[in-house]
Amino acid sequence: MATIIEMQGLTKCYGKLTAVAGLDLAVEAGAGFGFVGPNGAGKTTTMRILATLLRPTAGEAWVAGHSVVKERRDVRRAIGYMPDFFGVYGDMKVWEYLDFFAACYGIDAETRCRLVDDLLELVDLSHRREDYVDALSRGMKQRLCLGRALAHDPQVLILDEPASGLDPRARIEIRELLRELQSMGKTIFVSSHILSEIEEVCTHIGIVEAGQLVATGTLEEMRRRIQTQRLVRVGLVGRIAEAQAWLAGRTDVVAVEPVVGNGEGDLQINFAGDDEALARLLADLAGAGFQVLMFHEDTGDLEDVFMRLTKGIVS
Amino acid sequence: MGAGMRACWRSFLRDCADCFNPCNPRHPIVRLELQRIRRKRWWPGRRLFLFYPVLLGAALGCGLVAALGELAGGLPGDWDLLDPVGSQVAALVAGVPSVCLVNVLAWLLAFILPWMAPALTAPAIARERELGTLDLLRVTLLSERSIVLGKLGACLLRLWPGLLTLALLAPFQLVWVAGAGLTTVSDPMALLEAHELNLEWSWMGLLAASSLIGLVRPWGDLAFHAAIGLFASAVARSSGVAVAAAYAVAIAARMFLWLGRTLFSTMGTLLWFDTSLSNSVTGLPGLGLGIPVLLSAGTLLVDVIGAAVLIWAATWWLKRT
Repeated sequence: MATIIEMQGLTKCYGKLTAVAGLDLAVEAGAGFGFVGPNGAGKTTTMRILATLLRPTAGEAWVAGHSVVKERRDVRRAIGYMPDFFGVYGDMKVWEYLDFFAACYGIDAETRCRLVDDLLELVDLSHRREDYVDALSRGMKQRLCLGRALAHDPQVLILDEPASGLDPRARIEIRELLRELQSMGKTIFVSSHILSEIEEVCTHIGIVEAGQLVATGTLEEMRRRIQTQRLVRVGLVGRIAEAQAWLAGRTDVVAVEPVVGNGEGDLQINFAGDDEALARLLADLAGAGFQVLMFHEDTGDLEDVFMRLTKGIVS
Repeated sequence: MGAGMRACWRSFLRDCADCFNPCNPRHPIVRLELQRIRRKRWWPGRRLFLFYPVLLGAALGCGLVAALGELAGGLPGDWDLLDPVGSQVAALVAGVPSVCLVNVLAWLLAFILPWMAPALTAPAIARERELGTLDLLRVTLLSERSIVLGKLGACLLRLWPGLLTLALLAPFQLVWVAGAGLTTVSDPMALLEAHELNLEWSWMGLLAASSLIGLVRPWGDLAFHAAIGLFASAVARSSGVAVAAAYAVAIAARMFLWLGRTLFSTMGTLLWFDTSLSNSVTGLPGLGLGIPVLLSAGTLLVDVIGAAVLIWAATWWLKRT
């Protein structure tokens, strides 16, 4: 597949602070690329550079074959950008808002009429057509902003934290919308620290920290990276301290610690071994007279990949 | 001129046409402002086309009566054409007392409108930045220059009742200049002296030039002040700072210009000319009036060039980041 977003040694410094330090990245056309990292990792800066809103201090980036420094107009034609914090003109009606931005993309008045209806249908806001933008909920505003970014039918969508500050329902709606757009063949470059959302929309993941790419690959590759050690959660009826000591004595258990917070009273085991060894552990545990309520493996979701890959650099 | 340069100019002119056509602006930012105005207040729109000929016709009618009045005052030829009494009578008949009102109103507007402009333009871009809507605008296909010009157009649109009145008063002011203006603006004795020296036509030419420049100058001031506001808006982080800075700069610029003019006219009069014609030092009597005309034209030039430079600078600043 063709590369649609490419960065080479992309660097951005604000005075002494280096927000993005030599990022090299390529995204294939049609991919859903999740750009993951903690706050302040340089995600927004990178996206703003891609959206031609910032000039890189060094390095280059290309979107759809156009340089973000030299061919800004061509890049702008190819991308739909949604920033993490955005305002809306509250005194406009929903359809006027979309009509305004479509006009900014140079779309003529007759086409705009039809386009606005199509866009409203796509982002599921047809029933709010005549309402003022101010009257919309945050989730609806987010969808409206996404509709705005789609006005000129861009190949690439650059979405900066599209689900931040949304309730679960609104988040799911955005996710469904992104999936739909993906099926329409659009490349989606989405940043987030909400990993569950990324997981379902993305085909590829790049983890960034302190302005550097820590890891990148397909979703499966990223999962496999952490499968050498498994996290197992054990729930017991009483005798927790005893069980902890018993477990710590085993050779295939790397570490045992009580779960803090949600699920207090459970034990979390860092287990090194295959499925057979894990089954044996459960049998032995029951054989030793412990009353096992729960025994399940946390199938390393992205949250863990994220935590493990970023922990080292911070400390 | 290369093809690229020509294309650049063409796009600039198209932007201007889109932004500053008051009847049917095509620029999205200006249209947005128009929508807001329409929602709240009355907007003449294409009815402008009807209004204007009517008022212009009235003005020209007055002019015609004035001219006839002058003819009635004496036959053309020598001195009679310029008979102050005749033209005054004509102005009285033609311009009617409204002429006085027109002038007072025009003067007021010419002063107030340029000073209102920074208050409107200074928050224009800074406010969008505060709200977080500027980035959304910048990623569209609108160029930075187009955004700046659009904002200028939108702000001027908000002043439309004042600007429209000022524009419509201009023909009436011309009548004023043609009639009573000749005798009241300047010293009637000067006209007499000029006539004796056979310089009445150059004297009148200068007077007409100064009046015409006077008609255009409010627009120059307006453009200059609006551009100061736009530049402050492009640079400042908050709209409050932008407004304060814009007024500070506008007042400083005005004072500077006024100081320069005073200095130049004093020096100029002392060195080269004498406003009183008979005491001419240089043997160029009548041209004493040339200095104020020159200074007026100079101020206009500074206004226009300043406005162009500032608008360019605002565009550059937006592009830079």
